[in-house]
Amino acid sequence: MGATRGEHKKIIDGPISDGLPSIIAAAHELKSPLALIRQLSLSLESGDMKLSDQKRMLQQISLTTERALRLTNDLTRSIKLSDALFVLEPINPQQLCEDIKSELTPLFEAHGRGINLIPRIHPLLLIANRDLLRRIIINFGDNALHYAGGDSPVTIKIELINAGKVVRIGVRDYGPSLSINTIDSLKDKLVDVSNLINTRPQSSGLGLYISSQFADAMNGRIGIIRHRDGSTFYVDLQASRQLSLI
Amino acid sequence: MTIKSVLIIEDDDWLAEQYSRILSKQKYIIKISSNALDAIIAIDDFHPDAIIVDLLLTGSTALTLLHELQSYEDIGMIPVIMCTNLANEISIDNLKPYGVRRIIDKATMMPDDLLIALRSLEA
Repeated sequence: MGATRGEHKKIIDGPISDGLPSIIAAAHELKSPLALIRQLSLSLESGDMKLSDQKRMLQQISLTTERALRLTNDLTRSIKLSDALFVLEPINPQQLCEDIKSELTPLFEAHGRGINLIPRIHPLLLIANRDLLRRIIINFGDNALHYAGGDSPVTIKIELINAGKVVRIGVRDYGPSLSINTIDSLKDKLVDVSNLINTRPQSSGLGLYISSQFADAMNGRIGIIRHRDGSTFYVDLQASRQLSLI
Repeated sequence: MTIKSVLIIEDDDWLAEQYSRILSKQKYIIKISSNALDAIIAIDDFHPDAIIVDLLLTGSTALTLLHELQSYEDIGMIPVIMCTNLANEISIDNLKPYGVRRIIDKATMMPDDLLIALRSLEA
């Protein structure tokens, strides 16, 4: 007997797409990297493989561990956000994104992917907390790497919008497109940060939910633009007037 | 039925690589797809004897894909092994209509579990 049309919705809609409590979302999000690390470790234990394979698996373990630790660190930071004192200061996003690109390049290369930063001729300044903004962009990068698929590079772009009042940092992927319904639902949820965001089917959206909290704490917001061949996740932050005053 | 070729549908490329490493050692011919659209093309080109699929994929879920496969008499007969982190939340009875013969929990699976599951399909 074949499956009845629409039945699949009933089977998977429960735990993943109904706004999860954060602890369940965190557990779900951490399960994938832990399961991968376990599989790689078990295979390494069994031996019987080429040295080059062993090296590659060890690199995959360390990079996957770092990714999982980033999520746990972000989660901890987001929970303590209301008590924390953090400084909002003028930041050069180009320099910050260069640093992030350097940090993420080994991970991207290990996946056979690239990460690019579109250079700007004229420098911009925005008002943000360096640590929180860094976490947001890394999160977008992680999201693009793990859920976009394909082997095309991920591109970071910095631009001025709203007549120069807002700086937008976007992370563009070229993976399989999300359906229009998914995007519409995402857009609603990105506006309402009280809901968890289901970004990609494999993801609980916890990382982006945390990013939206970080952006909120800096008087900014995150959002998504759908393209025919992928998506751009972006953060909008207030532009600094400092340069224009000089 | 003898299984020689296996299509792995998994959007975590390193996990797919790991499955492939295990199965290739046992002389299975492997092809990897990272999403449902690629998988449909691969199934037509590769004619796998069995499919290993994750439940949640980028884009359409595995169930959308398997539902589509069930529309065709020939490819609807390809046995499916589902490897998922959500094994505790689904039952094989619900998935049988989609051609799923085995569910493997990614969180507890041993590397040989894939081989055991594939061999069980031959019995």
